[in-house]
Amino acid sequence: MPLALVQFTPFPSLSHPSFWHKLTQLKLDVLKLSDAQVDITGSYGVGRLIRDREAGAWISVNANLAVEEESFTDTKIPTRSVAARGTLKNYNTIEEFKAADKTMLFNECADKIWESIVTNKDTSLLNSFLIITYADLKKYKYYYWFAFPAFVASPSWHITERGWVPAIQAGFSEAQMSSIYEQLLGNQPLQAFFVVLTPSDASTEVTVSAIDAYVPGATVGFIDPSAQLQNPGWPLRNLLAYLRYSYPDSMSSLDVLSWRDTEIPREGWKSRVGSLVVGDGSLSKAAVVPNARPNAVGWEKNVQGKLGPRVADLAPMMDPTRLANQAVDLNLKLMRWRIVPSLDLDKIAATRCLLLGAGTLGCYVARCLMGWGVRTITLVDSARVSFSNPVRQPLFQFSDCLNGGRPKAECAAERLREVWPGLNASGYTLSIPMPGHPIPVSPSLCEQVQQDVEKLEKLIEEHDVVYLLMDSRESRWLPTVIARSKDKLVMNAALGFDTFLVMRHGARHTLDDNSRLGCYYCNDIVAPADSLTDRTLDQMCTVTRPGLASIAASTAVELMVSVLQHPRSIHASASSSSSSNYADIIDVEKTSVLGLVPHQLRGYLAQFRNLHIVGAAYDKCTGCSEIVINAYETEGFSMLLNAFNDSKYLERLTGLDNLFAEGEKALRDVEWIEEEEDNDF
Amino acid sequence: MLTRPQFDIACRALVGKYAYTAPSPATTPLKGWSWHEHASINGLGYLSRRTIHTRFSCFGTDDEELYREEYEEQQDESTATAVPDATLVCQQYIVYSATYQVPAFYFTMHDCNGSPLALADIVNTSLFRPSAFDSAELTTFALNIPDRMFPLLSQGDHPTLGTPSWYLHPCESAGAVDELMRELGEAEWTTEEGLVRWIEMWIMVVSTVVELCE
Ligand SMILES: [Zn+2]
Repeated sequence: MPLALVQFTPFPSLSHPSFWHKLTQLKLDVLKLSDAQVDITGSYGVGRLIRDREAGAWISVNANLAVEEESFTDTKIPTRSVAARGTLKNYNTIEEFKAADKTMLFNECADKIWESIVTNKDTSLLNSFLIITYADLKKYKYYYWFAFPAFVASPSWHITERGWVPAIQAGFSEAQMSSIYEQLLGNQPLQAFFVVLTPSDASTEVTVSAIDAYVPGATVGFIDPSAQLQNPGWPLRNLLAYLRYSYPDSMSSLDVLSWRDTEIPREGWKSRVGSLVVGDGSLSKAAVVPNARPNAVGWEKNVQGKLGPRVADLAPMMDPTRLANQAVDLNLKLMRWRIVPSLDLDKIAATRCLLLGAGTLGCYVARCLMGWGVRTITLVDSARVSFSNPVRQPLFQFSDCLNGGRPKAECAAERLREVWPGLNASGYTLSIPMPGHPIPVSPSLCEQVQQDVEKLEKLIEEHDVVYLLMDSRESRWLPTVIARSKDKLVMNAALGFDTFLVMRHGARHTLDDNSRLGCYYCNDIVAPADSLTDRTLDQMCTVTRPGLASIAASTAVELMVSVLQHPRSIHASASSSSSSNYADIIDVEKTSVLGLVPHQLRGYLAQFRNLHIVGAAYDKCTGCSEIVINAYETEGFSMLLNAFNDSKYLERLTGLDNLFAEGEKALRDVEWIEEEEDNDF
Repeated sequence: MLTRPQFDIACRALVGKYAYTAPSPATTPLKGWSWHEHASINGLGYLSRRTIHTRFSCFGTDDEELYREEYEEQQDESTATAVPDATLVCQQYIVYSATYQVPAFYFTMHDCNGSPLALADIVNTSLFRPSAFDSAELTTFALNIPDRMFPLLSQGDHPTLGTPSWYLHPCESAGAVDELMRELGEAEWTTEEGLVRWIEMWIMVVSTVVELCE
């Protein structure tokens, strides 16, 4: 019966993430652009059999040659493991990595191992390995390829008919096995290769010694990373090459102990013994003894089973942008699971928000939107950051004010992206033309205004919610009209000294005409040209209590979120919060999963009180009445020009001028329909 | 509930107790742990160990252009056919949750490349008892059990290392341990012996979900 060829289990490599972290550090701090070789230390243990709990069968798990952070620094080897010397060569580009002369590198490594056999008569380099790497630090991807050079024996090693058998069956006693175990495990890191000597035939004692204590007939042992019953591990190949070179006369046959026990076993020793023979028996005893270095093989195959590099993708663990995105979502989802299971976070996240005004309100609104996971935030402002801004406008800092100041909208957008790189934030410097503020008679200026209007129309078209956060009252008019025409949700926030107004404009196409909600201008009896007779809450003077802006901004965002969560969304009827209207709170029509969806909130900081107000749409409103919207839709820019240039145009268009003539006193009655006052709900 | 000093005592004692015990299904969940302190701050110590697992299903592979190039090496009959390496490494931690004042189980999992596993892949490994997630709802960053206040498994930073990890929500384990301790009649569990017993019990409770035997 012919002898069986000994087939060795290839070494599987294992790179812990800490190895890549350390390589990154090394590349950035030490190697930089150098591709000098770096000495590293890997480690391996014994192959193991793991019992599959479900099927009850044994699964063999080969031990890996592992590299980790410590591989670079010292030789701190994990317990119950063998140290293996390695060389790392890192390339600076993927092209260099691909073009590396692999044959040469491999041969260099194999030459070193051979030299250690021939010159040093040493076994410490027999398990040397090579790794080539390329670190794509931008994408957190690491390309690498391990090689474990092993000499190809010629003629090949074969095994006797018995094959590999448990050591106990091959004549080792329990006591001898325990003795070998204790001697091996007593030295950490473990010796990769050893000889088992029995001092005299009569003795059952065994001594574990270094390989150079080999005498013909002794059993040689090695720590075996293979878990395959009939396949010894890779390190045995170079040990056999060493023995054949060093003891040419006694190497026609050899007993090998493949050591696989690094824990005292409960179900029998797993270590195995095989009797190896040179050649398949067809050769004479005086087989060829190599003097020249034998050929070597040992590049690791990749996951595709081909000889080629592998890739470690650490982005999910290291990419700060991905981590931030996950964390933002996580916080929100926790809220959803814990408190409001039916919250539709995706709807909020997908809501594109246009913030007109990147001042105090704009900064706070943006931050709050970000907290809700809103992914698209666009800011518009015409101003630059001035020295008075940073202390009250949390997206700016002192350096933004220098050299004339950075454009506010762009600067704020940049800051938002710094807070959360996953955000789609952009900023546009744009002046919003205002009614009653004539465009100077100049073709180029007129053209500029037209472009600005078109830009604003386009921005409103591209967003779902428009926030009016400017510090002047008239500048809210144009976006009110455009957004009304496009039926977008408009959120409006305005500040007084210690009072604020937060409201949502009513939807244009509401099913129930009677419950149409008003806009910012519905209560006005004059067109928004005249901001000196400031009857709501506008800011010719922008002195406000510092806490007011964040309260108003947060209120506006939370109101938007409540509206978005309402089944009827922007068509939701307004709820009041008064205790007598408790019915509203449980009225599905008037609440979202987050609670009430009021129309307007007036905050009085002096009293720490909010008032809920429902204001009906006014059919002569200069901001939202169909007369105005229709005129805008049919005449376009020329209608807007009229409004900008002629302060009485809107009043004539809507008929407000006639009403005004009938007496201001009568009109005072068209006031807020105030709900009950107490609502510290 | 356990105080931070009690946690420290219990953990250090656990490490010593199981350093030389023979492995068995009963002892492996308790073996292999080592105690680590924060590099510069006291009182943030934790237990850590590394275990090897295998994947149940084959995960997708990268479609890297790199793989299309093939290197030629001498044919060698003495090389055994490589079995696909299904090795997965789980780095496990037992940390102290200051919020809940109980231990918490944190872990990371990576394949032989060092690439971290996605949650969908993690639940398909031998780390979890196959029945552990029968009624669970899986998202990319958490695993929820209906009718539970908190997700069973979610993503969070390691409290001492600050690195992204997965963790089992700690709030239910402590109650289970206290109940077990009461049944055992461990009156004096503030002694070192009692504290080790407590942490052993806690590990056993965790191992009803996580396969801590490898
Ligand atoms: Zn109106």
